[in-house]
Amino acid sequence: MAEGHQKSSMSYKDVNEDIYGIITRSGIGYYIICGLFGAGAAVLFILPWAYQIYVGQGVSGLNVPVFWGIYLVNFVFWVGVAHAGTLISAMLFITQTPWRRAISRGAETMTFFALMLVTLFIFIHMGRPWNFYWTFPYPTQRQLWTNFISPLTFDVFAIGTYTTSSIVFLYFGLVPDLAALSHTASGWRKKLYEFLSFGWRGTDAQWYTQNKACMFFSAFIMPLVVSVHSVVSWDFALSLVPGYSKTVFAPYFVTGALLSGFAGVLLMLSIMREAYPVMKKYVTDYHYDRIGLFVLVLSLMWSYLTLMEVVTGLYANTSQEIEHLKFKLATPPYMQLFILMIFCNTVLPLVYIVRKVRGSVFGRFVVPVLVLVGMWLERYLIIPNSLSRKFLPWMWQDYAPTWVEISISLGTLMMFISMFMMFVKVFPIIALFEVKEDIGVPMKNRKHH
Amino acid sequence: MSIFSKVKDRLEDLRRPGYFKKYDHKFTMVIDLDRCNGCGACVSACYAENNLPVVGKEECGKSRALNWIRIERYVEGEYPDVKVKFIPVMCQHCSKAPCETACPVYATYHNQDGLNVQVYNRCVGTFTCATYCPYDARRFNWFTYKREKPLDQQYNPDVTVREMGIMEKGTFCIQRIRAAKDRAKDEKRALKDGDVTPACAQACPTGAMVFGDLNDPESRVSKLAKSPRRFRLLEELNTDPSVIYLKRVMKDGRGTSEE
Amino acid sequence: MKRRDFLKYIGIGGAGTGLGYLFGKVTQSPGNKLIPYLIPPEDIIPGVGAYYATFCTECSAGCGILVKVMDGRARKIEGNPRHPVNKGKLCMRGQAGVQGLYNPDRIKAPMKRSGERGTGQFVEISWDDAVSTLAKNLTELNKKPEQLYLLTSDMRRRGHQHTVASSFMSGFGSPNIIRHDLLGPGNLEFANHASMGLSAIPHYDIENTRYLLSFGADFSSAWLSPVSYGHAYGQMRQGGNGRGKLVQVEPRMSLTGANADEWVAARPGTEGVLSLSIAYAIIEKGLSRAGDAGSWRSALGAYRPSEAAKTVDVSEERIYSLAKEFAQARPSLAISGGNLEGYENGPSCHMAVSVLNHVAGNIGIKGGVIPSPEALASAPHPMTGPKNSLSRFAADAEAGRIKTLIVSGSNPVFTAPKAAKVEDALAKIPFIASFSSYIDETTAYADIILPPHHPLEDWGDEFSEPGAGFAPATVMQPVVSPLYDTKGLGDIFIMVGKAVGGKTAARMPSAEFKDYLRGSWKEMYAKNRAMAAGAPTFDEFWIRTLSEGGWWGAESVKPRCAAVSVHAVKEHLSKSVAAEFEGDEKAYPFYLMLYPQAAMRDGSGALSPWLQEMPDPMTSVVWGSWVEINGKTAASLGISEGDVVSIESPFGKITAQAYLAPGIRPDTIAVPIGQGHRQYGRYAKDRGANPIEILPFKENPKTGQIAVNSTRVKVTKIGNGRLVKQEGAARELGRDIVKTMTPAEFERIKG
Repeated sequence: MAEGHQKSSMSYKDVNEDIYGIITRSGIGYYIICGLFGAGAAVLFILPWAYQIYVGQGVSGLNVPVFWGIYLVNFVFWVGVAHAGTLISAMLFITQTPWRRAISRGAETMTFFALMLVTLFIFIHMGRPWNFYWTFPYPTQRQLWTNFISPLTFDVFAIGTYTTSSIVFLYFGLVPDLAALSHTASGWRKKLYEFLSFGWRGTDAQWYTQNKACMFFSAFIMPLVVSVHSVVSWDFALSLVPGYSKTVFAPYFVTGALLSGFAGVLLMLSIMREAYPVMKKYVTDYHYDRIGLFVLVLSLMWSYLTLMEVVTGLYANTSQEIEHLKFKLATPPYMQLFILMIFCNTVLPLVYIVRKVRGSVFGRFVVPVLVLVGMWLERYLIIPNSLSRKFLPWMWQDYAPTWVEISISLGTLMMFISMFMMFVKVFPIIALFEVKEDIGVPMKNRKHH
Repeated sequence: MSIFSKVKDRLEDLRRPGYFKKYDHKFTMVIDLDRCNGCGACVSACYAENNLPVVGKEECGKSRALNWIRIERYVEGEYPDVKVKFIPVMCQHCSKAPCETACPVYATYHNQDGLNVQVYNRCVGTFTCATYCPYDARRFNWFTYKREKPLDQQYNPDVTVREMGIMEKGTFCIQRIRAAKDRAKDEKRALKDGDVTPACAQACPTGAMVFGDLNDPESRVSKLAKSPRRFRLLEELNTDPSVIYLKRVMKDGRGTSEE
Repeated sequence: MKRRDFLKYIGIGGAGTGLGYLFGKVTQSPGNKLIPYLIPPEDIIPGVGAYYATFCTECSAGCGILVKVMDGRARKIEGNPRHPVNKGKLCMRGQAGVQGLYNPDRIKAPMKRSGERGTGQFVEISWDDAVSTLAKNLTELNKKPEQLYLLTSDMRRRGHQHTVASSFMSGFGSPNIIRHDLLGPGNLEFANHASMGLSAIPHYDIENTRYLLSFGADFSSAWLSPVSYGHAYGQMRQGGNGRGKLVQVEPRMSLTGANADEWVAARPGTEGVLSLSIAYAIIEKGLSRAGDAGSWRSALGAYRPSEAAKTVDVSEERIYSLAKEFAQARPSLAISGGNLEGYENGPSCHMAVSVLNHVAGNIGIKGGVIPSPEALASAPHPMTGPKNSLSRFAADAEAGRIKTLIVSGSNPVFTAPKAAKVEDALAKIPFIASFSSYIDETTAYADIILPPHHPLEDWGDEFSEPGAGFAPATVMQPVVSPLYDTKGLGDIFIMVGKAVGGKTAARMPSAEFKDYLRGSWKEMYAKNRAMAAGAPTFDEFWIRTLSEGGWWGAESVKPRCAAVSVHAVKEHLSKSVAAEFEGDEKAYPFYLMLYPQAAMRDGSGALSPWLQEMPDPMTSVVWGSWVEINGKTAASLGISEGDVVSIESPFGKITAQAYLAPGIRPDTIAVPIGQGHRQYGRYAKDRGANPIEILPFKENPKTGQIAVNSTRVKVTKIGNGRLVKQEGAARELGRDIVKTMTPAEFERIKG
């Protein structure tokens, strides 16, 4: 744990100031970039979506056998990205892994915004999104109820639970930090922090409660790491569609989700460190080392499960499965996409075997970007692709996304970035109290700054 | 009855799709593929009866034609020994329908007549039913489809004109079933064989399509359903469809008999 | 509140209420009363359909239909279950009849030309104007009445509408009635008359036959009476008395070929040769049932299977086995149509098939060719006189012998080859009047349009081909009130005739067409004693006829006998019965086969969006044209599916997209007829290619039939494209989706 304790020379005041600096000290460039992403989101996402709602789902590239296109791909992809936050905050919290402390807040924030996009994509892919609330079991005079055997109803509950608990968990962690920062801050931020910290004074009783609550929620959302993406995978696995109907889907999706989640966290940290050199004090090579190992292990697991998925299809040896595999593995352009996916998710992460690479620029930027691309492709090769080759060859039809779908996908990505950037300007992206724990001196008698 | 067995029964009920343990009717269509000559009269009749929109060339090119019934054609062999087989495919009204488990809002369910029905008003358009359907029988309203005036004067007032954003599929002409049931009720009698004929079966020149109630042992479909030529489409998927096909007799036929 | 304020508010409120009321009155849309009838007509109950019987005019089969009318609008066309032709069934074309009625491009009122001829620009005028303009023009011709020509369809209508048109022409003094119909079975009629002495198409008893040998007759989609034969086909297969076998001979697998147990891809044009060599083989093997088999053997000496095999590209063994099966299966039946109708020597080809039927003893037996019974006494005759040809029409126009032309029910600009120069002929005619419901290519040349009612709004009658035990007389009656300012077709002739005056007016019925029709039926009723059965008075009979859709003459009609004699057909079979094709084999390597689809037929279906979107049964292509090419041929030419190819004959060139068909000879390509309209409404216009354009103009001098399968073409790829079709993949890939069983097993399970 040598690297983990490199911050021990710092005082609490340094920590407070460093992090408040991240919040307040930015050039105009930062705001311009954030604004550009926001404007991009408005133009590329809001306007095409409005167009789609007004004109109809027909503006997408969906067709009769392929009813699920890249909206669903994005939905699954963002659920995956959301996963690292849960794993880092919950699992690593319970196992008391020390290096999670500096990165947990960032990961949780990613989870939060990724889940926002997940919810959005559910609405975007619907034919009549204005009736979205019908999917909730609310009491009505007409005694309409939801269908509890539908995997989509599972989804509503899984995602609903996940979003709620993620928000609560994120907020619980924020409370002591906001109280600490309210002393340093001024202006509207001070008022906001004071309001949101609910009069946190850092008494033993409060710390005790906070710790217990975090522990409880960690335990509570830990099963969600496995369950949410399993439920998402059941959307597909519970059908009869060749290419969907596989029992391997739940672990396969969960592993893939964690892989993309960790790649996402890695990329986010690298970018933040470039934007705020002060973060290099907190997020060190040691973190890259650990996360890199995670990515490596998950990539190996994912590769195994991908192999198993193909082999399961081959083993079934029905015309349906064989044709589906032929289409996915041997038909251009999907063949090329499959090769690219294998390169991104299996071959490339192998470079993390070398310790030096984990901390290199290549390891910090190029690999996670490509892993994310590979994971997106994995979902693409499963979701629309399987539907192109269903049971009756007469109805076989290919799918290609239209500009509306691509624009909405890019726009939502921009929205994610701009919202994340705004979040950084309001809330501490590194958990103050956890980093202070890292420094390690209990400070019962001193007022902390 | 103990509480335990009550709970157990209830859970078992939940595992069974549909509300009804026994249907009032089990409407079934028998299609004799040896009679069917693939002429397409049924397709046209369905357009006329069910207010199906015409989507145009561009949309047809994207495979978005809104045909509730289609005639699939499968070719075997190469020139000059070409064999062609036709099969009309519509919603199979599966008794264990994958689409019914899929819908989160119960927009599709099994009714007491053994029909798989679609509640247009309830549909939110998640596409799940269509994705789960192994027969690709479901069609979606990608846009608001309008007929150019005065073609709209032909709209059948007995059938809803569907809104943008909802799923639809073949209904076995449920409006005709309703009308026939009402008529039977007015005349204080039970529904009898031949009271209901869907538009496709009515038009079919070769008489390949026969419609009726499988619960009635005397009905034509009950008798035809006992034919050794009987098979159902993709029966291995265990969807228990209500459309029964009779095998085509052809020179190089497979000759695998079920019975 | 003060009293004054109170009054003030009351005042404002009152004024507001008044304004609101007025506003509501002004903005109220006129259509928001649900039922606009204070006392509704007795047959209109909102929400309850009334069914009216009439007949289908989409093709010449004459199926009886019931039109479901709700709230005064035609909602759906269904088959009339009592009608003997279609027995309650109906094809896709018939279903789409309502789209002709409610077509947005129907002509709404009389019109006169406002732009150049052929551009289709017209302005509306009143009926008085229209009729007086035409009448004035006709009175100017009074000195030379033969300068009036009537161009009409050869659809075998024998109704009183045509009687009125005929008497209009004869009253005026012009014998010049040009009948033109691309798909009419003129060759078959001629051949049957010449070989068997039958004046009408006989009844082909497909229902009861055990072995059907079809030479190109695509009875499942467009041959003669598809619904009637479709029903018969179903009965033949699974009607209960043994499963009949179907063998189809044709170079391009049609829908019927696809249903056949055996498909014989004979060389195009040699089907007649094959038929005669089968006949020869039957005699040779001593299987003939004809009494005069010996004389046939010598007459058919040139068609020994050993020699014919090479010509027809069917092996000798296969010819013998077909002959054996055909002769031994009882009853068996050979029919001919489709391609054969389109060869330049079509009559000879048909006769060759008649000879085969004769040799196998199939004429006049159940399950064979049953000669039609006598038509009804006093039924109107079909338009008589020599079959005036389109070539004579073109020549007359060229020579300036046509001063006025009335077009009714024909569209030769679309359905005749470019080489026929119909457009040039029309340009030479000073005055053209068209009685058409749509601006089609020929109507676009008209100076004046007098739009008739749609058949669903009109009166008329039809005397379809008699079948086994029936000779139907079907009535057409209005099922909806006219949508637009149009007149009944019969009434238009009557109006114009009366306006012309003189002898023409004298020949016209004095009353409206409706009353004339009733009067004619009264005459028929008086002459046909069978009609009186069950209806002691004519009024009763008429009401019953209108409610049932017609009268079928059951029991009263008896089939006649017929036979083919060597003497009768010798002349026609003396030349080779193999058809000739234009174009050098080297330069133009492919036979061009044109065929009609059930939906479009001769192109008249193209105006219906339903029919445009109806996938073609054999290719599933929608909204356009295509060319069917054998997969291997296409590969050798570097053509893949959807590619745009040019099809060039010595007479012209069209482009279409390629469809790689499994069932077509490698030396043949096939293009459907019906698309490529330059006019004819928004759904038809500028869509696909019209292959008729590139045909040679070969008109059979005896039958007036234009040869549509008469040229060779060359095919070159000119671009890439994607064909709009519904088929994703047409192979089962071992999934055993459509399960089948062998005939042997079928026999086993049956017994």
